[in-house]
Amino acid sequence: MRKENVFKIEKLTVYYGASSALQNVDIDIPEKSITALIGPSGCGKSTFLRTLNRMNDLIPECRITGNVLLDNENCYKNGYDIIGLRKRVGMVFQKPNPFPMTIYDNVAYGPRCQGVKNKEQIKKIVIEALEQAALYDEVKDRLETSALALSGGQQQRLCIARALAMKPEVLLMDEPTSALDPIATLKIENLIEKLKEDYSIVIVTHSMQQAARISDYTAFFYMGELIEYGKTDQLFSVPKHKQTEDYITGRFG
Amino acid sequence: MGKPQKVKDIFMKTITYLGSGFSLLFLTITMIFIFSNGFGLISFGLFTGDYHAKYYAGRPASVECEGCEVTDELKGYYSSVYGIALYDDFDRAGNVVIKVSYVHENSPLLNMLDTNNPNQSISLKVDDVVTRVAFFDQPSALTRNGASMMIQSMDQSTEIRELTFSTLGGGIRGSLITTLYLIGMSLALALPIGILTAIYFSEFAPVNRLTNLLRSFIETLTGVPSIIYGLLGITLFIPITVRLNLSQGANLFAGAMTMAVILLPVVIRTTEETLKSIPNSYRHASLALGANYTQTVKKVVLPNALPGIMTATFLAVGRIIGESAALIFVLGTAVKDTVRVNESSTTLAVHIWTVMTDEPSNIELASSIAFIILIIVLILNIGVKYMSYLINKKLRGVV
Repeated sequence: MRKENVFKIEKLTVYYGASSALQNVDIDIPEKSITALIGPSGCGKSTFLRTLNRMNDLIPECRITGNVLLDNENCYKNGYDIIGLRKRVGMVFQKPNPFPMTIYDNVAYGPRCQGVKNKEQIKKIVIEALEQAALYDEVKDRLETSALALSGGQQQRLCIARALAMKPEVLLMDEPTSALDPIATLKIENLIEKLKEDYSIVIVTHSMQQAARISDYTAFFYMGELIEYGKTDQLFSVPKHKQTEDYITGRFG
Repeated sequence: MGKPQKVKDIFMKTITYLGSGFSLLFLTITMIFIFSNGFGLISFGLFTGDYHAKYYAGRPASVECEGCEVTDELKGYYSSVYGIALYDDFDRAGNVVIKVSYVHENSPLLNMLDTNNPNQSISLKVDDVVTRVAFFDQPSALTRNGASMMIQSMDQSTEIRELTFSTLGGGIRGSLITTLYLIGMSLALALPIGILTAIYFSEFAPVNRLTNLLRSFIETLTGVPSIIYGLLGITLFIPITVRLNLSQGANLFAGAMTMAVILLPVVIRTTEETLKSIPNSYRHASLALGANYTQTVKKVVLPNALPGIMTATFLAVGRIIGESAALIFVLGTAVKDTVRVNESSTTLAVHIWTVMTDEPSNIELASSIAFIILIIVLILNIGVKYMSYLINKKLRGVV
């Protein structure tokens, strides 16, 4: 069954000052599946991820050309609702970054910022998000304690729960397990695989095993260009490009 | 490890120890100086007492003291006729005085006719200073004759013609109140403006030549001698308060405004440093959750900056308590017992200046005030640390 595309990216070029970090990227992100972005450091995969929810806007010298279509609407057209975009496209960062507040307040942060006042409603959203992030059973007795007292893996799942509380359509993950130990990584991977039933997930990863394990589609970036993009099993078994093959077999990178 | 390296290490270690030893030594000497000079005058009365002594003269309405026989041991010498005990002591300026240590509840000296206002009744209180007791039938007893002589004369005489006494004076209540007023008023002006400016510079201002220039200006202002700010106050803030009909001359409003200007660079700098130290990951996480920048600043950045803002406040309070040069101009040097915000008065630091410029200068009282200032700063410091600890505990769950 062919899946719908949630993102359609056309001729995307990103400049930092005078130098370009991404050149002419064309890629479609399918919905309700996991798309992994791989490539060596500095290849532009994180930059690409951050163009999808316009986090690159925070970098003053960053300039973008091309189209990023979400539901056939260009996210970079003038007057586009950035806040609305970030509500629809959630993000989880490389290092777990829960706010120094209670666990409950962390998850409730997004809905509260959107003006949800009803306490019952917020509570429902928080519990639902924590359950979806497979964290609720571990923290249900200490929702009012500081989030920073959690372990690294729990903190990262809390960050996922915090993003899920916004009920996004897309979840962007920037190397979400690179700061975690193997057991915590496994838990997050299981969680991500479960989440793809409801969300479209784009994940940047340095670990090719991780990409092979969990993703449906894989994109290989090199030197700011999209070298190859396709179904994960195909890309890893019969890569079309020499560079892809070199990278996934560990000959460079 | 070679021998030269070892020698070098020993040398480095020695000068480190010497340096810290010297600074510790001098700080300890300062503390001992203030403590030994000032501790003698520290008493409850110093905090609550008037600075200006009030002088009275009166004549007891009756002579006899019913049941004034006292068997308890009293400080100094006791007169069973008048029911008071006197002793020799020094006042807060170091002069020899005769002080009242006890007044019996039936003493006739509790009900005297005021010489200057015959309809008024005045009474002698414990810690008052008796300067002269005049009689009809014998020479007056004066301070220089001593407490024992004074009691003896009172017991021998048939009737007191006039008793001259005064309150002790030299208290710092007025200056203490002024200091507290000034802290409150200056912080009320400086903190909101300073914190908002810091938020603007740290979170919203574009990074360009103009904002960098402004930032350098603000940093330079911390190096301006405070007496210059005093001149600013006298030429700008006092005229403003006079124009607004708040005051006729030096006053607390102008003092607070001047202090606020002095504090602004400190508050702005400290707060901005704190805001900058908050990890960007918090801001990004908030923005990625669809919060706008104002919400991010309000809900994530500011709560985290609270301990730093409290440090800024503490530094500001320390600056207010320690300031004297600027306040001599805008707040005056005349010690007041009744503090009014539209009149001149003195803070504790200026009070020190006043007692040291008196003739003769009073180093004991100055040291006592310095000691009190140290105690206030110490209490504030501990208070701020404790509050930061509580906030940290609440925010981070760990300390």
